[in-house]
Amino acid sequence: MLRLEGIDVHYGATQVLWSVDMHVAQGEIVAIMGPNGSGKSTVLKAAMGLKAPSGGRVRLDGREMQSAPATERPRHGMAIVLERRRLFPRMSVHENIVLGAYARPARETRGSLDWVLGLLPDLRDHLDATAGKLSGGQQQMVAIARGLMARPRVLLMDEPFLGLSPAMVRTVSAIMRTINDEGVAILFNEQNAKLSFALSHRGYLLESGRVILSGSGQEMLDHPEVKRVYLGVREEAVR
Amino acid sequence: MIEVLGRRPALTLSVCVALFLLISVLPVNDYVLHILTLSLIFAMFASGWNLTLGILGLKTLGHHAFFAIGAYLSAIVAFYGGVSPWLTIWAGAALAALAGLLIGLPILRIRSMPHVAIVTLAFAEIVRLIFSNLKDITRGELGFWGIPPFDPVSFGETTIRFGLGNAWGSYVLAGAFFFAVQAGLLLLLRSRPGMTFAAIRDSEAAAESLGINLSTWKLAAFALSAGIVGLSGAIYAHYVMILTPTSVAGPEMLITLLAIIIVGGAGRFFGPLYGALLLTGSLELLREFGEYRMLLYGALVIGFVFAAPHGIAGLRIGRLRRRDRRGTRERSSAA
Amino acid sequence: MTASLFLEMVINGLISGSIYALVGSGIALVYGTTRVLNFAHGELLMIAGYLVLFFAVTLGWNVILASVVTLALVGGIGAAIQRVTIAPLLAREDWAFRVIAATIGLSILLQSGAQIVWGEQFRTLPYFFDGVVSLGGLRMPVQRLSILVIALALMGLCALVLYRTGLGRIVRATAQDAEAALAVGIPAGLVHTSVFAISAVLAGAGAILLSPILTVNPWMGVSFLLKGFAVVILGGLGSFGGAVAAGFLLGLIEAASVTVLPTEWRDVVAFTFLIAVIWVRPNGLFAGREA
Repeated sequence: MLRLEGIDVHYGATQVLWSVDMHVAQGEIVAIMGPNGSGKSTVLKAAMGLKAPSGGRVRLDGREMQSAPATERPRHGMAIVLERRRLFPRMSVHENIVLGAYARPARETRGSLDWVLGLLPDLRDHLDATAGKLSGGQQQMVAIARGLMARPRVLLMDEPFLGLSPAMVRTVSAIMRTINDEGVAILFNEQNAKLSFALSHRGYLLESGRVILSGSGQEMLDHPEVKRVYLGVREEAVR
Repeated sequence: MIEVLGRRPALTLSVCVALFLLISVLPVNDYVLHILTLSLIFAMFASGWNLTLGILGLKTLGHHAFFAIGAYLSAIVAFYGGVSPWLTIWAGAALAALAGLLIGLPILRIRSMPHVAIVTLAFAEIVRLIFSNLKDITRGELGFWGIPPFDPVSFGETTIRFGLGNAWGSYVLAGAFFFAVQAGLLLLLRSRPGMTFAAIRDSEAAAESLGINLSTWKLAAFALSAGIVGLSGAIYAHYVMILTPTSVAGPEMLITLLAIIIVGGAGRFFGPLYGALLLTGSLELLREFGEYRMLLYGALVIGFVFAAPHGIAGLRIGRLRRRDRRGTRERSSAA
Repeated sequence: MTASLFLEMVINGLISGSIYALVGSGIALVYGTTRVLNFAHGELLMIAGYLVLFFAVTLGWNVILASVVTLALVGGIGAAIQRVTIAPLLAREDWAFRVIAATIGLSILLQSGAQIVWGEQFRTLPYFFDGVVSLGGLRMPVQRLSILVIALALMGLCALVLYRTGLGRIVRATAQDAEAALAVGIPAGLVHTSVFAISAVLAGAGAILLSPILTVNPWMGVSFLLKGFAVVILGGLGSFGGAVAAGFLLGLIEAASVTVLPTEWRDVVAFTFLIAVIWVRPNGLFAGREA
C-alpha cells in the first residue's frame, strides 16, 4: 500500500538517508528500528512529505506522492503522529482532535469523532481541557486521536512511546493493536527492539541512514546482529 | 573564514590601497574625489556595522545611532571646546562604543532576532530625537553648522588642508582612516578572535559548549562595531561641517547603509567597500533625479535580497559553492 | 492636576493607545503566526490614508463606503505583499533577515513611490462625526472618542474571528505549532496570506480613523511602525492580546509624559520605556499569553 523506493534525504550538504526502500501492506504494523540518529524519524517525515527527499519516490497504492505537498497527503489516506505529540498546546483537546479532520470533508467530522472516541473512550472526559496541560500519556492519546481523525489507511507514528511510563507504553501498544484491527496500517519507529518487534508484523533495521535488515518481528528478534547490538548490550543501546 | 574574507584578503586589500594611491596622484577632478571621500566614509560605517550584522550574525538595525553619536559629540567638543578634531574624533568613537555597550547589554542576553532588530531601531530613534531636541546645543533640524575641519598638516613646504572644498586632502584622509580600520579588522579576523566570531555565527550553542562566553564576545564585538561606526561619523562631521539629526540618524541613513551592505555583500569583508563605491558613486550620477534616489535604493535592496543575497562580494564564491555542492551530490548518488 | 485634566490625559492616552493597539496587534498576529517582521506594515497605513482621501474627498463618496472599499483594497495589498515579497523568501537560508531587509526596501520604495505620485501635499479628511461630548467639565469632540470606540470594536471583531471561526482555528494552530499544522493538512500559505490581510485591514482602519485629525503624507507610517514594533515587544512577541494591552499602556505613558515634559520628548519617553522593559523583562510585560 505505502511504498518508499530509494529514498535519499539531505539536510544541507549532509546526506542522512541512503536509498531507503520500505513498504507497508494493508493491515500491517511495521516497525522501524535503529539507534539514535540512524534516520528513523526522517524516514517518516519523508514519507509524509514534511521533509522533501532529494531522491527516490513515495507511492501510496501505486500513486506517486512526490508532487503532493504534506498538506495534501491526509486527503490520500496518510496521517502522522509526530514525535513528542506536538499538540496545539493552548487549544482544547476537542479543538486539537477536530483539527485532525481538517483535510476531510466537514460532514465526516461528526462520524469520525464518534469513531475515534469509541476507540479512545478515556478522552471523552478531557475534551474541554487545555491540551498542553495534560500528562504525557494523555497527550499521546490526543495526538493519536488527532491522527485518526484524517481516517488514514496508513498511520505513521514517530517515537510513540518516547517518555511514557511502562504502564502507558502498554496502553499505547494496546491502542495501536486496536487501531490496526480497525484496518489501519501502522508504520512506527522505536529504539527498543523487543518492544518494536513484539508489536509489529514486520520490521526494518536502520543504521546510519541505510536499511541493513528486514524481516518479520520474530526473525528480527532472532537475528544474531540484532541480538548482538540491540539485545546483548541493551543498557547502552536503548536510550 | 574564506567565505567572509575571500580567497586572498591581504592581496585584495593591497590592490585596493594601490588603486587608492594611484587615484591620489592622478589629476582627478574634485567632484569625483568628493564622491570617493563620501564612499570611503560610508564604507567605513558599513564595515563597522557589517561586523555585527554579517560577521557575527547579529541583526542590528540601529547603527546610524552610533554614527550620529560619533558625529555630534566630536562636532560639539570641537566647536564649543575649541579642541582639535584630530582629538575629538576619538572621543566621538569612544562615546559611540560606550553607547554600544549600553544598548548591547540588554539585547545580547536575548537570542531573538526581532528583539535585537526592534530595540536597536528604537535606540536610533531615541538618539535622533535627543539631538533634535537639544536645540540650544545642536540647533536641532536647523542644522549644526560651523563645525571645524581637521587642522591642516604640514610636511615641509606642502600643507595639506581638509574639509569640504579641500577635496584632495579629505580624500587622502578618509582613505587613510578607512584602510587603517580595514587592516586592523583583517588582522583581528584572522587571529583567534576571528575564529571565535565565526564559531559564534555558525552555532551559538556549539560555541558556548566550547567554553566561549557568548555575552562577553558579542558585547565586545558590538562595542567595537559601534566604535568604528562612531569614528566614521566623526570623520564625516568634520568633512561635511554641517549636521542635522535626520541626515545622520534618520531612516534615509538606515536605508542607504542597508543598501550598501546588501548590495556589497552582508558578512563579506570587502562587501562594504564595493557597495559604498557602487551606490555612492554611480547613484550620485542620478542626482538630478533626486526624488527617485530612494525609490532606486529600495528597489536595489529588494532585488539583491532576491537575486544575489550575498551581494557583489558573494557572487563568485556563491557560484563556486553551488558547483561544489552539485559535485558532491553527483558523487554520492553514484556511490 | 485637576480631575478633569487627569481624565483628559487618560482619554487622550486611550485614544492614541487604540491606534497603537490596532497597528501593533496586526504586527503581532503576523509575527505570531509566520515569524515574519514586516517593516512595510507602516506603509499599509499610509496607503490606506491616501485611498480613503481619494474615495471620500476626490470622488466624494460617502465616508462609510469609502472606508469599506479602502479596507478591502488594503487587505488585498497586504495579502499581495505576503505572496510576492515574503512567501518566496521563506524557504531560503537566513530568511528572517532577508525578509527584514526586503520589507525595509519595500517600505522605502512605497514611501518614495507615494511621494512621486501624490507629492508632498499634506491633506486631511473632514470630520466624520460632528458634535462634542461633555464629561464632567471635559469637552471631547465625538470624532476623537469615536476612534477609541471603533478601534475597540474592530479588535473585538478580530478576536472573534480568531477564537470563534474555522479560519481563526487554523491561524491559531499554525501559530502554536507550524509543523503539526502542516501535518494535519492545514495549508500554511493560506494562513499566512490571511493573517497579512487581516493585519493590513487593522492598520488601514487605524489610518482611516486618524485621517481627519492627522495629515496624510508619505511618511506617516514610519512612526506608527516603530510604535507598533514597540507594542509588540512590550506585549510579548506574537501575542495578540498582549499587543492590544501594551498599545493602550504605551498610549497612556505618552499622555502622561506630555503633562510633565515638552511634547517633543514624548517619543523619547516611549522608546526609553521599551528599552527599560527589555532590561527587566526580556519577554515582555505579558509573556506567556500567546494566540
